[in-house]
Amino acid sequence: MTTHGVSIQDEMASSVQSGRRSSGDDGQTSHNHAVVLEAKGISKTFAGVTALRDVDFDLRSGEVHALMGENGAGKSTLMKILAGVHVDYEGEIRINGAPVSFSGVRDAERAGVAIIHQELNLVPELTAAENIFLGREPLILGTIVDHRRIVKAASALLKRLGIEIDAQRRIAELRIGEQQLVEIAKALSLDARILIMDEPTSALSSAECDTLFKVVRQLAQAGVAIIYTSHRLDEVLALANRVTVLRDGQRVLTAPIEGLSQGAIISAMVGREVTLSRRDSVASSSASVLSVRNLTLDKVSSRGWRRVLQGVSFDVRPGEILGIGGLLGSGRTEILESIFGVARGWRDGDIAVDGEPVSINSAADACRLRVALVTEDRKALGLHVASTIRDNVALPSVAAASRFGVRGFVREAELATEMVEKLAVRCYGIDQIVATLSGGNQQKVAIGKWLATGPRVLLLDEPTRGIDVGAKQEIYQLIFGLAAEGLAIVVVTSEMPELLLLSDRVLVMCEGRQTGVLSGAEATQEAIMRLAAPGMSERAAP
Amino acid sequence: MIVLRLLSRTKLYWGLAIICLIGALASPHTSSGRNIFLSFNNLTDVLRQVSITGLVATGMTLVILLGGIDLSVGSVMGFSTIICAMLLTQPGWTPASIVAVPVAAIAAGLGVGFLARFIFHGLARGRDVDAGRRNEVVLGPWRGLRIPVLLGLVCGALVAVATASQVSTKFGVLAVLLVTPCVAMALGAINGTLIVAGRLQPFIATLAMMVSALGLGRLTAGQDNAVIAVYTGTNATQAFDVLRSMVWGILPMPSVFFLAAILIFGAVLRFTTFGRYIYAIGGNPEAAKLSGIKVAQVQLAAYMISGLLAGLAGVLFVAQYRQGKPDAGSGLELDAIAAVVIGGTSLMGGRGGLAGTFVGVLIFGLLSDILQLQNIDSNVQLLMKGLIIVGTVLVQEQNLGQLLTRWRGQAPPPPTRTGSVEAYRPPQVNVTSKTREDIHEAS
Repeated sequence: MTTHGVSIQDEMASSVQSGRRSSGDDGQTSHNHAVVLEAKGISKTFAGVTALRDVDFDLRSGEVHALMGENGAGKSTLMKILAGVHVDYEGEIRINGAPVSFSGVRDAERAGVAIIHQELNLVPELTAAENIFLGREPLILGTIVDHRRIVKAASALLKRLGIEIDAQRRIAELRIGEQQLVEIAKALSLDARILIMDEPTSALSSAECDTLFKVVRQLAQAGVAIIYTSHRLDEVLALANRVTVLRDGQRVLTAPIEGLSQGAIISAMVGREVTLSRRDSVASSSASVLSVRNLTLDKVSSRGWRRVLQGVSFDVRPGEILGIGGLLGSGRTEILESIFGVARGWRDGDIAVDGEPVSINSAADACRLRVALVTEDRKALGLHVASTIRDNVALPSVAAASRFGVRGFVREAELATEMVEKLAVRCYGIDQIVATLSGGNQQKVAIGKWLATGPRVLLLDEPTRGIDVGAKQEIYQLIFGLAAEGLAIVVVTSEMPELLLLSDRVLVMCEGRQTGVLSGAEATQEAIMRLAAPGMSERAAP
Repeated sequence: MIVLRLLSRTKLYWGLAIICLIGALASPHTSSGRNIFLSFNNLTDVLRQVSITGLVATGMTLVILLGGIDLSVGSVMGFSTIICAMLLTQPGWTPASIVAVPVAAIAAGLGVGFLARFIFHGLARGRDVDAGRRNEVVLGPWRGLRIPVLLGLVCGALVAVATASQVSTKFGVLAVLLVTPCVAMALGAINGTLIVAGRLQPFIATLAMMVSALGLGRLTAGQDNAVIAVYTGTNATQAFDVLRSMVWGILPMPSVFFLAAILIFGAVLRFTTFGRYIYAIGGNPEAAKLSGIKVAQVQLAAYMISGLLAGLAGVLFVAQYRQGKPDAGSGLELDAIAAVVIGGTSLMGGRGGLAGTFVGVLIFGLLSDILQLQNIDSNVQLLMKGLIIVGTVLVQEQNLGQLLTRWRGQAPPPPTRTGSVEAYRPPQVNVTSKTREDIHEAS
């Protein structure tokens, strides 16, 4: 399982010889294999719960080392220990051969270790340059912030990294992908030689991902050692040199990426064989539950009206799963929001539920018609994370369970229990606070909340975002199960394998227009990409 | 551990207990050796004094739980005292009665109409096995619209006739109790509409109402007599004195209203869908909206309730102080917010409750009583009030625990300026090993 046992000694020696690497110009060769960071026997417990048990980890200069594992496997704990966030742990960490014990993040930064958190720590109202040098502004006469110098240094830094961002733009004006790159620039301005990236692509479009990967590769080539986590296996396979897999707080695998298959990594993460199987297409002849005709949506932007959706039409029959594919910003989410009656803007078109033309102008209307939307951002939009499972599941059903405005507490508890059992939510009970659940279980609660209302149409927006592989599998099974029960399901997802796996038919969007509906065998990755890419759609037959 | 948790969960009540203890120990004694603080009369006096603030704080709790704020309650209360005092003392169509009669009729009509619909809904829901799955019951045209409208019109007309008949003489106590809160509720409805339909921030909308209700009160009262005196028995009905009497010799009448409001709205928050929605909206308005909750209706209702209770407080103020004046409630909104906050309700919304507000109101009442008994300067009282707000909120929000751990733990490392602009030498991306050799040779 461990393939680096022998070589590590040599590398140790070479890293001791080369001493502490402090400047950037000694990392020209991409893999000189010097171990810059070594962790031995790291263990960490939180209030009696073991998060990490005797984990060894090593990082070589110039490599991208992927750290994989399901949620709760301990990868974020390990990263936080390495970055000085957690300071009480057992075991030893060596940087360039010298044992270190960080007293905090600042201390780690001084030793050249920087972490980029999943939640970006940038100030939206400041410019990119100001953010990069926040708290360390160069001063004139020790008092006045030298703004020109900040901009100059930041621009130079961004340019050298190959990032095309104007350093004087405010962070709020940048897209998330660009913000991520600014965060990287900030970390590097701290003279970081070891960069820890926690799920950097979870909110990025594929084009933004490509830019990020380019920067990451360049950094690695220049000798920066990178620890990289992601839930997306394909990007790990494409980017990483080595991979370490954690499961239940223990290391189960460290190996070079060559020769590892996607399946092998998943098996190591989950601890069992996982098969991604498409379900047999359910031939449904019954009339459509949801039919959408000529849906258009105009939004007000700073430059006047902007057409976000144009002429979207489709039908969903009971038991059918319609996938909506397309690039980020192609109007996928807006379709769901328009159907659910919560899209901001001017909406036009006809929606019929069970053949009856309906007008849905609010979530309350949608609930009455038994149309349900599980939102993309479950923490901000889908759930009350500070409340209990019981309260969350019952919320859309509170009125239904009540009589004369008095809540039916018994009925609410029944609903919550029913959903927890049906969806196999792993929790202590229905009174557990949702924020303490894992991402996958939170997502199940978000789905359960709507299943409790007995919907006929279920709209799912990115149902597996930020969820680990095992939980994804459960969500897929769940969605298949619901379709088998006769629900009409519409799924929006950015992940191509997921789209192909789940959908009976795939509707592809490009720049707000519907460029095609593919069914069955027609729906291949290539066909979808061709329809989804801007500029290609003119040639594609709808 | 369990004891600690119990202590921390009930810390609010411990604060109240400590204040009582201090009051009892520090209290002066009568010549016969009786403890004045613990005397029955003193305690009922405290209850009487806190009732007006308490009523307003009750409405404020709902609004704050919702994630909003109502700065207008003081002015609305002042305006209500004017309406109430003018109706009591001045016969005929004064500005007060011109405003009050139609508003009361409309409010009564709408109220009865919605109540009828609500009851039909409840009846229609029935004891259905599948009730939990069925969302809204769709009522037929008669029960859904026509009967409620009819009932509403009838009731509105009845109220209009009943109140108009009192205009020629002077208003009685019941009529005042009905009409004044309705007017205040209408002001609350304006607040709510501005916030819901106009998308104004609650702070701004109610700030505007706070200013304009004061002006409205002065206009209604007339420039010359900013204070309208109410002498029951001479210029107003003797029966109005019932609002300052003792009920069965135990409770002062104002406190009966206060306690009833606490109990009623406590039950509303705890047991009704409306209460659940208030918490849900305060906790996460977007998620609440996407859960199918009619956020706008709930918000509007909360601001209306806040206005209604402020109006009721206004009537009690007239009974208590025998006068109505436009600035009767100046500073009241801040007292109410303070009571809500020290009661543990989060200003961010979604967390807290009326039990806390009740205790918060009592803590203020007892504190000023103790200080008065000690003959301490009223400015010291203000100072103490401020300290209590800060102290309780520190304990409530568990900031104290965090502060203590920060002090006890090691000090954070001093900020460094290591990675300054100069210190950064970026990785050289495009340099190949060959060029390095070239550089070596060159040097």
